[in-house]
Amino acid sequence: MTPPVATPAGRSAGAFARAAWAAIALPFVAIVMALVVGALIILVSELLVTGRPFQPTLPLTAYQALFVGAFGSFDGLVATFVNAAPLVLGGLSVAIGFKAGLFNIGAQGQFLMGALGSVMAGVAVATWPPFLAIPIAVAAGLLAGAIMGFIPGILKALSGAHEVVTTIMLNYIAVGVLAALVSGPLKVPRSPSPVTYDVGNAAYPIILGRDGHLGILVALAGVAIIWWLLYRTTWGFEIRTVGANPEAARYAGMHPRAVIAFTMTLCGMLAGLAGTGVLLGVSHSMTSSFGTTVGFDSIAVALLARSNPVGIIFAAILFGAMRAGAGLMQIQAQIPVELVDVVQATILLFLVASPVLRALFRLRGVQTELGSTDTITRTYGGEAVR
Amino acid sequence: MIRRLQPALVALASLAVVAGCTGGGASPSPSAPAATTSPSTPASVAPTATPAPSSNLKIGVVTDIGTLDDKNFNEYSYKGAVAGAADIGAATPPSIVPKDQSEYATDIQSFVSQGYNIIVTVGFNLAGPTTTAAHDNPNIWFIGVDQSPICVDTTGKLDTTFACKGDAKTLLPKYISLQFAEDQAGYLAGIVAAAESKTGVIGAIGGTTLCQPCNRYINGYIEGAQAQNPSVKVKVAYVTHDFSNAAFNDPVGGKNFAQSFISTNKPDVLFQVAGKTGNGVLDAACAAKIYGIGVDVDQYLSYPNADPCIITSAEKHLQSAVESAIKGIAAGTAVGGDNRFDATNDGIGISPITNVTLASDVQTKINDALAAMKAGTLNTCPNSTCNNVAKSTP
Repeated sequence: MTPPVATPAGRSAGAFARAAWAAIALPFVAIVMALVVGALIILVSELLVTGRPFQPTLPLTAYQALFVGAFGSFDGLVATFVNAAPLVLGGLSVAIGFKAGLFNIGAQGQFLMGALGSVMAGVAVATWPPFLAIPIAVAAGLLAGAIMGFIPGILKALSGAHEVVTTIMLNYIAVGVLAALVSGPLKVPRSPSPVTYDVGNAAYPIILGRDGHLGILVALAGVAIIWWLLYRTTWGFEIRTVGANPEAARYAGMHPRAVIAFTMTLCGMLAGLAGTGVLLGVSHSMTSSFGTTVGFDSIAVALLARSNPVGIIFAAILFGAMRAGAGLMQIQAQIPVELVDVVQATILLFLVASPVLRALFRLRGVQTELGSTDTITRTYGGEAVR
Repeated sequence: MIRRLQPALVALASLAVVAGCTGGGASPSPSAPAATTSPSTPASVAPTATPAPSSNLKIGVVTDIGTLDDKNFNEYSYKGAVAGAADIGAATPPSIVPKDQSEYATDIQSFVSQGYNIIVTVGFNLAGPTTTAAHDNPNIWFIGVDQSPICVDTTGKLDTTFACKGDAKTLLPKYISLQFAEDQAGYLAGIVAAAESKTGVIGAIGGTTLCQPCNRYINGYIEGAQAQNPSVKVKVAYVTHDFSNAAFNDPVGGKNFAQSFISTNKPDVLFQVAGKTGNGVLDAACAAKIYGIGVDVDQYLSYPNADPCIITSAEKHLQSAVESAIKGIAAGTAVGGDNRFDATNDGIGISPITNVTLASDVQTKINDALAAMKAGTLNTCPNSTCNNVAKSTP
């Protein structure tokens, strides 16, 4: 929430450490507590499931496999980054909405539309040289995402229609449009099941290991750009001001409606770019079951990082690692993948219940509120922005 | 901090309950199988020279999105792998349930990296990643459930244009794709339906017109019903025309659809070919006090809600097909390519009759039909027309 402030020269290292702890204490405690809850759930379900001998160390085995799967090998590390990349962009999408006082639940739909735009353009230019095909496919994804963000943005600006409601509705529309197109006009005619053609030369090149694609760099570039936009440009200042107090922003000569429409469009572009990355970098073609959870996990990433662009990188790596390690966890510990959902959901639960954590662990002087969430609650009455 | 821990643990316990409830959020898992257009390759015996010490084989399963206990494809394919592993004395196979389509390839790769010898992948959505993995790892056996036809170019790579110029059987000799003769199972269910109908009007509801196995089930059902009673009227409808959630993952929508279907067409037996959407169809059948027929697995066991009205299910024997493929690999008799499971190798069938008692001549008819299918004298898919969208009889 707070812009990174350079440590004044006279400040001691101790003060800096305290400031750093203040920023990360709550997410850190939430993660640790979530792992503890996950371990308890493993133990309890062991007791409930008959036929398997009780292993008290099974939670450790599971977490160890999760960790080794995500960080224990070069391929695992790359898989973690590949899984984190779309979460970084999706997290930025949700975070920049928070900054403007908007709760973008539509990241999922924007993600799907971005991927859909990319696959449509990518298939069309699949035989073109990569230096042309890739930018075209990316641009199509950005455009499709932007449209998906612009719609709720302009609706909110013109009529005050709350973006939580409109983006949730648009998520359903996105799923329906995707299913209809992939099993209709985009389907490979001879294919027995609904799948599009391959994007061919429009695919992101591999830059790291076996699977590490260009999207990892795109995500990092996105962080840099958004950080710069938010804290070093007038636009960013207006976004933050509108988020903090639309009335004051208007009084100061800003145009909250325009800022809201612009910000939602930007949200859509970022989430769309996340979808583009998964499509061009990983799947290269689309089936009707494309893209299930990235859009919603992005909300968790943004909350965990408190909408800080740099924090989002770490939050996304955490969530990406849980995805990347889940395979090995299922193989070695035979723990169902749902454990990852439980841990992720519990992290969020603790974050949302942060006053409880603060009281339990006596986290004095740390930033306990999710700075952005009070902005959301403030705007969640559906009040019209003038 | 210590004295604060006690309330913390209490809070944890209650949170654990809440969090536990969030874990089951399953993603859609299309329960409809992929279509098969190429001619069959019977799982015949062709000894190869690779007798591996059976107990050392490591078997892994990658399911489709969803859950392992989905009472359908994922579950029964996995059970087949477990049974197959037990038969050959291998360790119980672990499974990976992907969270997202983009994970299929990495999940298969997880087993490859861990040195697994047999990797079972479930459902047509995994056909592409499995084909690519089979091409890249020629020493590993892959068993694909419902991924026929395996479509490769002349170099054995996945053909994303579906020209399918390559011969998968020779180019990917260790990729076994299990396909089923749904029309035969539908035929047997059709005999039961026509025999138990008092009004002479029976119905079938498919998930989507794009699902060729659904079409085969229903066309076979019509054939069987007419063989039993030439004057029977078969009403057919499909829930949707695309592969959206409504097709196979929407029980509530399925129930609504079936309610209006029943009130319009007045069937007294209703066959569901729509996965979990079809579970809603069975609910509607039970509510309307007409008979229901399940699909794919014995739904009297897998979907107890329909127990009051279900009379049988048209089954494809997923579990035994996976099991026999694993046994074939261990015995060195397995053959790559499309392996067809039909009446000749007990790949299809109908579940035990419940709620009604079949007249003895009907049971004889079913037995005769099965025998004729085995003998090859009964073709339930004349001129391959059973792949086409099924239509109500005039």
